[in-house]
Order: sequence, then C-alpha cells, then structure tokens
Amino acid sequence: MAVIDFRTYPVQVQELYDESPQLHAPVRDIFGFYCSAQPLSTLIRQLDVAGVDITVLSTLDCTTAHGAAIVPNETLAKLVEKSDRLLGFASVDPSDSSAPAKLEHAIENLKLRGLNLDPALQRFRVSDDRLAFPVYEKAAKLGIPITFQMGLNWAPRARIADARPLDLECVAATFPNLRIVIAHCGWPFTMESLALAIKYQNVFLDTAILFSGRPESSVASVFTKEYGLDVIEASLRERIVFASDYPRVDPKRVARAVRMLGLRPLTEKMIFSTNAESLLNRTPNA
Amino acid sequence: MKSVVKRFSIDTTQDVELINITSIVKEAAAESGVSNGIVYVTTMHTTSGITVNEGLPDVEADLLSMLERTASEFGDYRHQRFLPSDGQMAVNSCSHQRSLLTGMQVAFPVENGTLVMGARQTIYFAEFDGPLHREYIIHVLGV
Repeated sequence: MAVIDFRTYPVQVQELYDESPQLHAPVRDIFGFYCSAQPLSTLIRQLDVAGVDITVLSTLDCTTAHGAAIVPNETLAKLVEKSDRLLGFASVDPSDSSAPAKLEHAIENLKLRGLNLDPALQRFRVSDDRLAFPVYEKAAKLGIPITFQMGLNWAPRARIADARPLDLECVAATFPNLRIVIAHCGWPFTMESLALAIKYQNVFLDTAILFSGRPESSVASVFTKEYGLDVIEASLRERIVFASDYPRVDPKRVARAVRMLGLRPLTEKMIFSTNAESLLNRTPNA
Repeated sequence: MKSVVKRFSIDTTQDVELINITSIVKEAAAESGVSNGIVYVTTMHTTSGITVNEGLPDVEADLLSMLERTASEFGDYRHQRFLPSDGQMAVNSCSHQRSLLTGMQVAFPVENGTLVMGARQTIYFAEFDGPLHREYIIHVLGV
C-alpha cells in the first residue's frame, strides 16, 4: 500500500517553468511563493526521504478573482505524466459557469484525480448554491474528492475569514456522497473542522498544520493538545490524510511530525496510506 | 594572474550527508591552466558546507553525529516560522547551524598544476537540508 502525500503544489518544479515560463507571475503574485525552482527530481528525492511513494500535485484556478490559474489543469496533467510518483488534482473557478464542464474534462480527459478549491484565494462562498453547488454536484457525480483550503492561508491576497470550516456544513449535508477534505484542519478554526469530521462521514482532515514553529510542534499542538490522541484513535483514524503542503514546508518534516505523535501503527498506516487510497479510488498496490 | 571560476551542481539524496568531491576539485585545478596558485572551493548555500576530513565511512558518520548532537534538530530556535520573503516555512535552523560549524569554503595550494593535499585529506560537499539540487564554485587563482 502506497504512502501518499495528499497535497503538494508544483510551484517549485523547474520543468513547469521550462515549458510555461509565464507561470512565474501567478506563482509569485497570486500564490505568494518566491523561492528559486528545483528540478522535478528534487521533489522525487524529497518524497524518498520522507518515506512517501506518491504525491498529489494540486493547483488553483483564480481566473475571476485574480486573472489566472496558478497552474492550468492541462499543464498540471502534463507534469503529472513525467513520473509515476505523481497524481494530480484539478482546480476550477466556481465563479465561471462552465466550471462543472471544465471539471469533467479535467477528470475524464486529463485524468486528474480530484478537485482543489480555495475560497479565500478564489473568492467564492463555499455555501453559494448558485455558483459552487453545481461544481460539487459534478464532483459527486464523478466520484472524486474535493480538498478545501481552510483557515490560515499564506497567499497574500487570501482572506482568512473567508475560509471558515463551519461554512462547509451545508455542503457536507447537501452532498453526502461528496468526500470533502478540510486542509490544514482549518487552523486556527480547528474545532470547527473537528466537529464536522466527527458529525459527517464524508468530511476528512489533513495534516498540513503550519502556522509557526516546526511542523513537529504545530501538528502535535492540534492533534495531541486540542483534539487529543484518544479522539483521533476513536473517531478520526479513518478521516485523516497525510498532506505536507510542499513547498510551503518539506514533506520530510510533516511526515516526521505525524510519526512522532505516537499513534497506533494501524492508525498511522491509515493516515499515511489507506485513507488516501480510498479517497483516490485506488485499489491497494495500484 | 589567471582567475578561473567554474560552477558545479550536485543532486544530494539525503537530509544530511557528506559527498566526496575531491576528484572534481583536482580535475578542475588541473584543467585551469594554473601552474602555481591556490584553489578555493565554496558552497553557494547557507544550509550546506565545504569541509575536509579523512575519507572513511566511520569518520564521516561520526562527524555527522557530532554535528547533529551539537546543532540538534529540535531546539529553542527563533528561525522556525513562516518566512514571507520566501513564501514558505523556515524551519531549518539546525541546518544553518551545521553549515556554520562546517564552514562554507576550503582552500588548497596548487603547485606545478597539481593540488597539494595530505594523503588522507578528502574534500566534501556537506548537505544539511537535503535532498536538493545544489551548487558550489571551484575558483583557481594563480599563474
């Protein structure tokens, strides 16, 4: 069973800019990432050191809000083809009425595996039944998960207040077959995320809890101190996926943070592998 | 006086490792055309180092252990926060400290076109926050 990093962004991958040099602008100005690029092989070795087999490269379509996608779905799909260690999550712009059709194209034709949305940066309301619900309906029909960026957001133009996890309750309730991943456990709104994950069987959390200090301390502060390991073992072990949010931080450090929690081996395996495999509709060893 | 600067890249594979670059430095010195002078080997990064020691696996392991003890992974560090100028978390204080302890440069004399080194001396590129694509400079200066 593969260890999966459920969310990384390809914004530090040199091959992305070799083929699409114009992407420097949205990565810098919209996503807010300013470090020099590294070859794709660096990301692969980063995964090796972290003990990760596969990572999900993600993007964000911010066309209405900021005039561009961080990485277009087609470009992301081409990058994913460069290694069998990569999967891809599409993004669509919910403010675009053709978003459901674009999502279907990304999944059916580009072979991307899920959807990544960031209401704070894309500037839409997750509870908008006119614009956003048709996208959720399409995702549910396609059987793909949606990751929602919630809580603290490092992109300069994002507004934290626009990413409250509780706003997802109507989505979880309206689309019980839609699997929803709340990124970062929605920090600092971690208890809202916990409440949703406990109440709704289709709500998941991820481990990319990054605010200050090392991941080893920030992950522990939420999972150990706020939630409690007993709650994770009893109620959340099927509902947490490992995600690093690379390159905001290195996978090796987030992976170590999770391994240092002292969870039961089976729980750790579920967080690193089983739960993501299930969300991605992968059969074991696929 | 000749001044020959060559840039080299290296793909490190581990979080922390020592990589023997002695033959590359010797070759660069020999190809520089400098008969008598000095060669500087310099890393371009602040979380890596250039150092010299005996090229034995046990020595290498002990040196890395010493650095990991002296500049431990976890500590009451200030450099563990989001860095707005990078757009990423800066949580590698121990890597910077190990780089400081190791040093960023070594120098050897060049005599009659050959590097003057002790028989047991090995030149290392030291990685302290890998894996990464890294760069270092070999600068040969002389006549």
